[in-house]
Amino acid sequence: MNLPIEDPNPGIDSGLQPIGRPSDELPWGRTWSRFTNDRTAMAGFFIVIAFFVVALGVWLGVWGGHWAETTAAQWGPPSTEHWLGTTILGQDILARAVFSTRTAFEIGLVVAVASTLLGALFGALSGYFAQTAIDGVVLWLKGVLDSIPFYLFVAAVAFALDGNPFAMHIAMIATFWTTTARVVRGEVIKLKNLEFVEAARSIGLHPLTIIFRHIVPNTFHILLVQATIVFVAAIKSEVILSFLGLGVQDSISWGLMIAESTTEVLAGHYMNFVAASGFMFALVMGVNLCSDGLQDALDPKRPIR
Amino acid sequence: MEFLHYSVRRIAGGIPLILGVTLVSFVLMVYFGPDKTYELLSKNPTAEEIAQVRAQLGYDRPFWVRYGIYIKELATLDFGYSDSTGERVTSILKRTIPVSLALLAPGFVLGNLLGIVLGLVAAWHRGGWIDKTIMGIAVVGMSISFLVVIIAFQVLFGVVLGWFPVRGWNVHDLGSYVHYVTVPTLASVFVALGYNTRFFRAVLVEEMQRDHVRTARAFGAGALEILWKNVLMNAMIPICTRIMFSIPLVVVSGSLLIESYFGIPGVGKVTYDAITSGDQPILKAVVGLTAVLFVLILIANDVVYRAVDPRVDLTGAAPK
Repeated sequence: MNLPIEDPNPGIDSGLQPIGRPSDELPWGRTWSRFTNDRTAMAGFFIVIAFFVVALGVWLGVWGGHWAETTAAQWGPPSTEHWLGTTILGQDILARAVFSTRTAFEIGLVVAVASTLLGALFGALSGYFAQTAIDGVVLWLKGVLDSIPFYLFVAAVAFALDGNPFAMHIAMIATFWTTTARVVRGEVIKLKNLEFVEAARSIGLHPLTIIFRHIVPNTFHILLVQATIVFVAAIKSEVILSFLGLGVQDSISWGLMIAESTTEVLAGHYMNFVAASGFMFALVMGVNLCSDGLQDALDPKRPIR
Repeated sequence: MEFLHYSVRRIAGGIPLILGVTLVSFVLMVYFGPDKTYELLSKNPTAEEIAQVRAQLGYDRPFWVRYGIYIKELATLDFGYSDSTGERVTSILKRTIPVSLALLAPGFVLGNLLGIVLGLVAAWHRGGWIDKTIMGIAVVGMSISFLVVIIAFQVLFGVVLGWFPVRGWNVHDLGSYVHYVTVPTLASVFVALGYNTRFFRAVLVEEMQRDHVRTARAFGAGALEILWKNVLMNAMIPICTRIMFSIPLVVVSGSLLIESYFGIPGVGKVTYDAITSGDQPILKAVVGLTAVLFVLILIANDVVYRAVDPRVDLTGAAPK
């Protein structure tokens, strides 16, 4: 994963904020208007919304439910009935790709939310208590998890949980929080020396109250961007893990479709591969564009236009 | 002497990390790992037979004793024999690691070099259409799965064009090496390039905004001279850090996919087979050795800092 580089002179212009600005210049309003003015970011945003509607339709049972039915002809070409053709078992490829959208959102959202929460928790603790034993333990844990090769870690978790269908999710959450925690830690070290934290400390608030009521909410912009990055990482990892046989079980996903297609493409049957990789590329691209747009819109050092 | 002292201190500092990694892999793969008792027993075993096999496998010993045995295996590089082939793990690794290095080295070098060059070009033209085009393509490259790239390149070069072999590794001279290494190299360069270019551009843009670069421009230095002397050389520390720390990931994760897909008998293929068949001794060896590699890179990283930036003092704190 790529990380924004560290700010060379942290906290130099924060802390001094004019009071009583017009509402469209409040941080979130400004971010939103910056975001909507960014055309590529908006394109990404609409792609993600479109995919989310597709996933929502699958959840509500509107479409995609018949992905496992093997009623059509084998290796059917694209037709009016099966827009993207059929698989070796006569399953509708479009239905499979559509249903996989739901799988992708489930994996992406679960992993992104859980690992962001975990990263915020550990990052905030190690940042606030920097240079203490708590920081040492969190940094050590991060170092350990970062030095185990990811696919081997997933394999090990899968062994230990003995075929639990959530082994993949657990392994991803257990490894993806480290990047978020590193970024949050840096931000918290910056924030904890500002006046509002000092004020909270001087009226005798408990450190944990200061961390979770006053500091962590101020790292929300970092968490949001990190969550989108983890979302992409989770979807991309699922494909590779499903290929390795460590991923989705008893369902269908783009990873499983691509894994199925590995032998088919050499025989000239491309539809499974094209459908799965096309769907996945569009969603990942959309989230990537959104993520870049968010990063720009949330950058406090960018001048207000 | 100073260097020796330093290295010893750094290695000592890496011990908690190695202990942590081995502990995690031990807990996951050995302690809670698959129970091999019944694979070694005949049908309808008696209680004594079960106890005997469990004692033979060490299952009856306490947790810390078993962990100690695992550490000893790692320290003496003696991982026993593969479950599936019965070959010594060390001899499997000795045979397969060179293949993986030969396979991955060109892609790794090219991916980073091209990334730096494209990053420099984009950073120099920051905000212009060249920058926007390069970064746009980088985002597209980042959005394509490695697996998709491998399959697409295999179909394109192996099936449609028929220029290169789709599977296998029959290397005996330079010609055959190029023949087999080209498609995997192209695939790994393609996948790494998007991420690399973005990272290098961000680092280089940061460096380009500094005062000394503006001064050099004001003195009328040429673009290439500024980029080489004032920007690239000063950005060497983050660049080297990234390149060094991506080595273990490329060696293990990159080889895993490429080799299992192209059927190349390297360490990644061995690891893939070990994952799918649950071959513990090999997995233990690969995880343990990767952790050691990480610590070695941690040490080597500071030495590289010293080499690219003479201001860095090995005895003191690392640079920012």
